[in-house]
Amino acid sequence: MCASVKYNIRGPALIPRMKTKHRIYYITLFSVVLLGLIATGVFQFWPHSIESSSDWNVEKRSVRDVPVVRLPAGSPLPERGDLSCRMHTCFDVYRCGFNPKNKIKVYIYSLKKYVDDSGVPVSNTISREYNDLLTAISDSDYYTDDISRACLFVPSIDVLNQNTLRIKETAQALAQLSRWDRGTNHLLFNMLPGGPPDYNTALDVPRDRALLAGGGFSTWTYRQGYDVSIPVYSPLSAEVDLPEKGPGPRRYFLLSSQMAVHSEYREDLEALQAKHAESVLVLDKCTNLSEGVPWVRRRCREHQVYEYPQVLQEATFCVVLRGARLGQAALSDVLRAGCVPVIVADSYVLPFSEVLDWKRASVVVPEEKLSDVYGILQGIPRRQIEEMQRQARWFWEAYFQSIKAIALATLQIINDRIYPYAALSYEEWNDPPTVKWSSVSNPLFLPLIPPQSQGFTAIVLTYDRVESLFRVITEVSKVPSLSKLLVVWNNQNKNPPEDSLWPKIRVPLKVVRTAENKLSNRFFPYDEIETEAVLAIDDDIIMLTSDELQFGYEVWREFPDRLVGYPGRLHLWDHEMSKWKYESEWTNEVSMVLTGAAFYHKYFNYLYTYKMPGDIKNWVDAHMNCEDIAMNFLVANVTGKAVIKVTPRKKFKCPECTAIDGLSLDQTHMVERSECINKFASVFGTMPLKVVEHRADPVLYKDDFPEKLKSFPNIGS
Amino acid sequence: MQSWRRKSLWLALSASWLLVLLRVFPLLRLAVPARPRAGAPQGWPHWLDRELLQSFSQPGELPEDDPQPLPAPHGGSCDWGACFDVSKCRGGGLKVFAYPVAGPISDTQRGILASIESSRFGSVSPEEACLLLLLSLEAPAGECSPLPQQWNGGRNHLVLGLHPNFCPQTFQLGQAMVAKASPTVDTFRPGFDVALPLLPEAHPWRGGAPGQLGQHSPHPGVPLLALAEERGGWRTAGTESSACPRDGHCEQDHGPEQTHPGATLPNATFCLIPAHQPDALHFLQALQAGCIPVLLSPRWELPFSEVIDWTKAAIVADERLPFQVLAALQKMPPTRVLALRQQTQFLWDAYFSSVEKVIHTTLEIIQDRIFGAPAHPSLLWNSPPGALLALPTFSTSPSDFPFYHLQRGSRPAGRFSALIWVGAPGQPPLKLIQAVAGSQHCAQILVLWSSEKPPPSRWPKTAVPLTVLAGQRKASDRFFPHRALSTDAILSLDAQSSLTTSEVDFAFVVWQSFPERMVGFLTWSHFWDEARGGWGHTAEKANEFSMVLTSAAFYHRYYHTLFTHSLPKALRTLADEAPSCVAILMNSLVAAVTKLPPIKVPYGKQHLEASPPLAPGDPDPQPPAQDCINQMVAEFGYMPLVSSRLRLDPVLFKDPVSVLRKKYRSLEKP
Repeated sequence: MCASVKYNIRGPALIPRMKTKHRIYYITLFSVVLLGLIATGVFQFWPHSIESSSDWNVEKRSVRDVPVVRLPAGSPLPERGDLSCRMHTCFDVYRCGFNPKNKIKVYIYSLKKYVDDSGVPVSNTISREYNDLLTAISDSDYYTDDISRACLFVPSIDVLNQNTLRIKETAQALAQLSRWDRGTNHLLFNMLPGGPPDYNTALDVPRDRALLAGGGFSTWTYRQGYDVSIPVYSPLSAEVDLPEKGPGPRRYFLLSSQMAVHSEYREDLEALQAKHAESVLVLDKCTNLSEGVPWVRRRCREHQVYEYPQVLQEATFCVVLRGARLGQAALSDVLRAGCVPVIVADSYVLPFSEVLDWKRASVVVPEEKLSDVYGILQGIPRRQIEEMQRQARWFWEAYFQSIKAIALATLQIINDRIYPYAALSYEEWNDPPTVKWSSVSNPLFLPLIPPQSQGFTAIVLTYDRVESLFRVITEVSKVPSLSKLLVVWNNQNKNPPEDSLWPKIRVPLKVVRTAENKLSNRFFPYDEIETEAVLAIDDDIIMLTSDELQFGYEVWREFPDRLVGYPGRLHLWDHEMSKWKYESEWTNEVSMVLTGAAFYHKYFNYLYTYKMPGDIKNWVDAHMNCEDIAMNFLVANVTGKAVIKVTPRKKFKCPECTAIDGLSLDQTHMVERSECINKFASVFGTMPLKVVEHRADPVLYKDDFPEKLKSFPNIGS
Repeated sequence: MQSWRRKSLWLALSASWLLVLLRVFPLLRLAVPARPRAGAPQGWPHWLDRELLQSFSQPGELPEDDPQPLPAPHGGSCDWGACFDVSKCRGGGLKVFAYPVAGPISDTQRGILASIESSRFGSVSPEEACLLLLLSLEAPAGECSPLPQQWNGGRNHLVLGLHPNFCPQTFQLGQAMVAKASPTVDTFRPGFDVALPLLPEAHPWRGGAPGQLGQHSPHPGVPLLALAEERGGWRTAGTESSACPRDGHCEQDHGPEQTHPGATLPNATFCLIPAHQPDALHFLQALQAGCIPVLLSPRWELPFSEVIDWTKAAIVADERLPFQVLAALQKMPPTRVLALRQQTQFLWDAYFSSVEKVIHTTLEIIQDRIFGAPAHPSLLWNSPPGALLALPTFSTSPSDFPFYHLQRGSRPAGRFSALIWVGAPGQPPLKLIQAVAGSQHCAQILVLWSSEKPPPSRWPKTAVPLTVLAGQRKASDRFFPHRALSTDAILSLDAQSSLTTSEVDFAFVVWQSFPERMVGFLTWSHFWDEARGGWGHTAEKANEFSMVLTSAAFYHRYYHTLFTHSLPKALRTLADEAPSCVAILMNSLVAAVTKLPPIKVPYGKQHLEASPPLAPGDPDPQPPAQDCINQMVAEFGYMPLVSSRLRLDPVLFKDPVSVLRKKYRSLEKP
């Protein structure tokens, strides 16, 4: 009631008093307007996608129908390219802004046709390749259609081939782009720069500060770290089907297949051919081909006709000589054939040289050494040649084979410069997939023996076995290098004992209470862990002597990237069942150590908690088992190394069980553990565990030497 | 009552009106700009006549542009192909002649000249050399020494200066390569010049301090950032982003922050280094400290950028985006931080910690250019132990080296060659040959006959091939990379050694897990002798060891190449004079490469007593060998040996279990 009273007071103020008729009229009016508004809203919201997707088809237009823009003769020209441009001087990073995905946004200007005052077109509207290139960008994650949010602008003015455009007018067309601003953050793609007679090595169109992705840069025109050197696309890539041919020696050692070769160089090549007739093949243009044969696809030696590019697969090395231009489309064909390119083009900046390691896929020979090329190539070991052949083919597949590949690699390079902390690594750019899969990059690769003074943190996982826990604490606290003790209290129903009841020890003791009784709690990277070395120990491991633990820590210091533990276990392949089997008997080999008592680097806690592959972590928590096997898999997988078992085998009471009693010697337990191994192996997609036949003992273990003088006398007792 | 009802009706209506309006309004706002776009498809259009578009290069066009007369090398600039005559280096590879310095010479300069001369590139005559090196003086402008006679426009010359300010002026340099500290990006010619680090005044010229990183991962308490200060110190800031910095300056003090004007090494995870050239000095400090350098738009070329992949050890960021950089640093995953930190240490230690390393790296880069294809692959430059210790003359395939198996997903080959050195007594070691040949992993036996006596004409029949090589009767000869050594693993033996097949088998299996280390049976340890003020070594049984005797040890054959081609000449002659020194040298060399101790495997006691020559049981406690260890330390510039406290035994070694279960049961015989 109270509320309605309030409304009564306010009501008249909002709506003026009117006659009933008017009121009805207004109500109707309002309702109509309202309905209309709602309808509009819904219309905007819901059928939008249908509308646009139907539009997609309808809106397919012809290139000939694009709007025409007339460029007045006197319209402004950009300045010539600024050779001193670098990312931190000419590029406006503020446009790229903060970006959680670390991806630049690229905008493409819509297609226009540019004509001069008299209506003559400035260039071909767009070539097939440039259209493909823009389509590739538009389909990629980089694309944005919001010009105000873009960091990089790509004009739709096609400058791939300088011969097909009018330089001055094209420059004017660039200058009138809506966000041109002296070319800042604009990216032009050009594959055939220069023109007769001097063939400049960079696009002659004045472009001010615009970045140039150019094919055929020389070191004089290339602005290191600003421009991008790209390949000259070979249209044959799409036209011809050329199945991959594996590496290895081929019929010809050296092949030259280019048609437009400077006469001086042709003389050198012919001399090589004369000298090594069997292994060198120098091809030329065919002069007497019958009509209808595409002469681009044929090469000749005297009267012998060879199919191109197939003939490239017959050679180990293929010469790629400069023509009038430095960049040659032949490079792409040669790489594709798995032929190692021998690049003879002084000062040529190789495609994507900012990120690609061309030493691995090519041989660069100075032009004046062309006549020595045979000898130079002979000096390369065979294994390296095969490696280069593989690498050449991989470069083509990844970065040359399509216009899309070229466009995306270019954008990735620019992206890497703008977000350097998220850049792709050398390996990501250069290693072929086969190497990427088989190789291991150890996260702790630096050979470094941590100082002994750092000590280790012992982490005891416990549920409610207080008496046993206190004994473990007392025993572990006797180890000289212990620097802190952390008790992970995994029982949510019971409080840990009062402070006064805990054993008094010489190092800090902390109790961490967990939110849930999960096994993975033992491997959580607690802030309390200040040392690199962690000793994971169960609350019932009371049989390890202080000497054994101290020695274990010393061994860990020599192998800080491994799991160093006491009870060792083995995985075996069961041929009958065709699956893995868990083995805890006295074996001569070891591939796992139990984390009921093991030293390891605290970084592995981070890996276990945040980087464990697949659903292993949840699986372990759900089954309340195998967290130790999971840790063994994880460490072996990232380091590629085996565990180190320390000290002789001794009777471990219930070594297999963690929190659950009475399961250990059970047959079912072994079956479960075997299942874990099979499950993890399938998640990892491989068996990472490494089998070794050694364990670590003190230097003088069981040697005939006075016990008093041994550093670790109390081992294996 | 009625009016009340009417009014409430009104009210409800108006309220719902407002509500709907509020809901619709944002939609309206969205709808308005959307309308003109409604018809335009997103992204680049799919043209109907796409198939009809012409290619950018018509088939006929490319061949048409017939080659023009080739342009002459660009006037002002040089690159490798144009300005360096490689043909002079054919045959011998890189040979360097350094012009003597006229006038007063500083210690550093003397050090540089000495280290070039003693290196494997050194040459005494300018005629023989293919690279002539001119040491630039750090003289004030105008006091430049005259150019040498053989200058020849600077062709095949390297002008080297450890300071950015240079003596022969740039216009005088011509075709000479320039190696100087922190060159500006604008004048640096990539692939031709060499960028050196800016070294502090008192940089050690040999050996050098190790990296300061004591542990792999950052200590939880360490601050995130340190900022290089103009006066030379470092200022650390807490993990709060507000503390630092806009335009590279920490003006406002927030949170825990400390200035250490005196401290030269920063203690932080990341080190911000401003753009200007003098700040390059901070770069090396950060590197040594294991503090990841964050370079804000450096105007200078990073040292050895031609070969070192700096993205693995440093972050080059844009100084215009300080907050973005900070946010990125804070969010950087621990895995990346860990990798960057370790790489700083590796690079510092491999290329920067001494003047000698800097000089050798420079020459190694030039040698790689001369080699062309068979040069160091990038992996060899950018992962331990580094290119100075992985010689491309051995192989260019990483899998041939002992260091890169993990990165390449390869394994060392599964067999070994036994190399038996027969010294003066000239007794063919028949028992030993049988024991070794009995190993299933043995590929071949090579006998290096270094005795005055002629070798016997008949040798026992063995399951594996046996070859007798004529030795040079020099102790260093046993580590020569003989052609016949075809397997990765070598078992080095003396004629007097005594081993069982079981011991050999187990040791080899262990070596396969540690192919970069030495695996041996008998050990020595080194110690610092206070009384004598020098290093000593002992063969006494002890709780730790740092060397294994090369009279019975497995190691990778690459170490023969390294021993012969990389060890300073002085040390190799020392080995010939004092044969017991070879073990120390080999162990030091391997330890210098791996930074790790060797591995000891069990050895039956009875042999030890039966064959005293295996142990260094000379009656005299070898004064020459004592000297050997100290001379070695002097040449290395530091003590490379690392101690170990463990021995690797078979898993069931001396365990209370049936002997029949044990694979290496004969190792346990009393």
